[in-house]
Amino acid sequence: MKAVVAGAAAIPVRRKLERPVRDTAAELAFAAAADAGLPLSRIDGLFVSPPALGGVPGFMWSCTLAHHLGLATRSQALVECGGLTAAVAFKLAVQEVRAGRISAALVIAMDVRADDRAEDFEFFIRNMTEDLLGLYGPYDALYGIAAPIPYYAMSAQRYLHEHELTRADLAPVAVALRRNAEKNERAELRKPISVEDVLAAPMICPPLGLLDCSAFASGAAAVVVAREEVAREAGRPLVFVRALGEAHEAAHFAPLRAPLSSFPSARAAAAEAFSGARLAPGDVDVAEVYGVFSATELMLYESLGFFPEGRGAAAVREGLTSGTGSTVFDPSGGRLSLGHPAGATPLYSVVEIVEQLRGTAGARQVKDAVVGLFHAEHGMLNGSLVGLLEAG
Amino acid sequence: MKDIIDAATKDALSVFGGRATEEFQRRLAQGRLCSTRCRACHAVAFPPREFCPDCHGREVEWIELPKEATLYAFTQQQRGLRFLAPDVIGLVEVQGVGHFLSRIDAPFESLAIGMRLAVGFLQIAPGIWVHQYRPARGVPDGPHDP
Repeated sequence: MKAVVAGAAAIPVRRKLERPVRDTAAELAFAAAADAGLPLSRIDGLFVSPPALGGVPGFMWSCTLAHHLGLATRSQALVECGGLTAAVAFKLAVQEVRAGRISAALVIAMDVRADDRAEDFEFFIRNMTEDLLGLYGPYDALYGIAAPIPYYAMSAQRYLHEHELTRADLAPVAVALRRNAEKNERAELRKPISVEDVLAAPMICPPLGLLDCSAFASGAAAVVVAREEVAREAGRPLVFVRALGEAHEAAHFAPLRAPLSSFPSARAAAAEAFSGARLAPGDVDVAEVYGVFSATELMLYESLGFFPEGRGAAAVREGLTSGTGSTVFDPSGGRLSLGHPAGATPLYSVVEIVEQLRGTAGARQVKDAVVGLFHAEHGMLNGSLVGLLEAG
Repeated sequence: MKDIIDAATKDALSVFGGRATEEFQRRLAQGRLCSTRCRACHAVAFPPREFCPDCHGREVEWIELPKEATLYAFTQQQRGLRFLAPDVIGLVEVQGVGHFLSRIDAPFESLAIGMRLAVGFLQIAPGIWVHQYRPARGVPDGPHDP
């Protein structure tokens, strides 16, 4: 049984959600179902991210939403796997549809990253300290790690060191992604930037400056995954889920022995997806990858099989990633400029690829896009999921 | 604020730590950086476990790690939770183990990949210790790039 992405919707990525999480979820549920040409009553599967990966509690959120939306289903789950969360929710929907258990699943993912609830300072610091120790573990967390940026910075440093590159080689990545975002009304950051701006930006964790980093953001997206015949009856354009690949290493953030300058999980997930779809990187017209930092973006182009290791920077500089090569990368603006609401990011990538393959991406449309790839990850690329979609 | 962070760290260690974490801390307080080695496959784990994460053997022994390391990568946090700038952290490569996170007690500008380091210890809160590294004196920097 073939699964298709029948409907897709997303709100603009901004620092805060415009409306409370319950209203946002309902708005997107109706929008994605309408886009699929299906009434919500046809939905028989519900897969959701927590309302936020941190801060806002998510206990029983899928149950809350099923009640709120009036959805009786045959399959339902709240999923959490770090930055991979929304991709795993999507995978569950695809698997249930392919297995023939359900006919149309709604996937809703969101992330509220600006939490403005009134809290006293002591409560906030205490909670944050405990959350960070849970996240980074009882060894690394004692050094006061407050965000994953130091790990990615050291990965970037190794990448530059091993390939004899400098910070200046990373800057064109941020510029290219911002140029894409200029055409995307959903993007959080759309003001044009230059290589000089990137190099002059405040240093966050060397060698990564502010504009080498993804933007702090909230957002939400939803898709409907349906059986081919259900989507066909609804008369909407078909976007087939050709194959998914997934791989997780026994590591959390910095691996003990593996190098930091390439990502085995991305390589393995891509290999599985390409083999499952009988496609190769050269067949991909448009890709959305989970490059949360400029150097990570380059390493992903390489680990996903599009360029040899160490060649990513030159590929960007030569324009091969933004139109003159066989694949256009991150027409949405990518994580650096679309913005990065982590819990929803993978679904934003699916939405972008679906619009590209339907030919409805407007000013960002990649010409004659037929095959699209999305990639998502958790930790520091400790796990990856790659999906290949194809216009029907 | 440090009191709040220290108390929360202690509470969180009791939730997210374990027996191996407690033993690791006990040895750090004695000025020894230790971890566990599998009696079956001889792989050294880091951080320590009560089992082998490589071959899943259940018999492990505690060993003291070499005092010297090589700097594998390093960066600096602008806004960490615990240390004020310069808050330099790195991945240190210890022979026979791998590369793992540590505080680096030296100015960022003085560091280079491949530099030889020596381990030291720091009490960050009552009863809670970390290991940290400083550039090793008297040891020439080599072609140590791992």
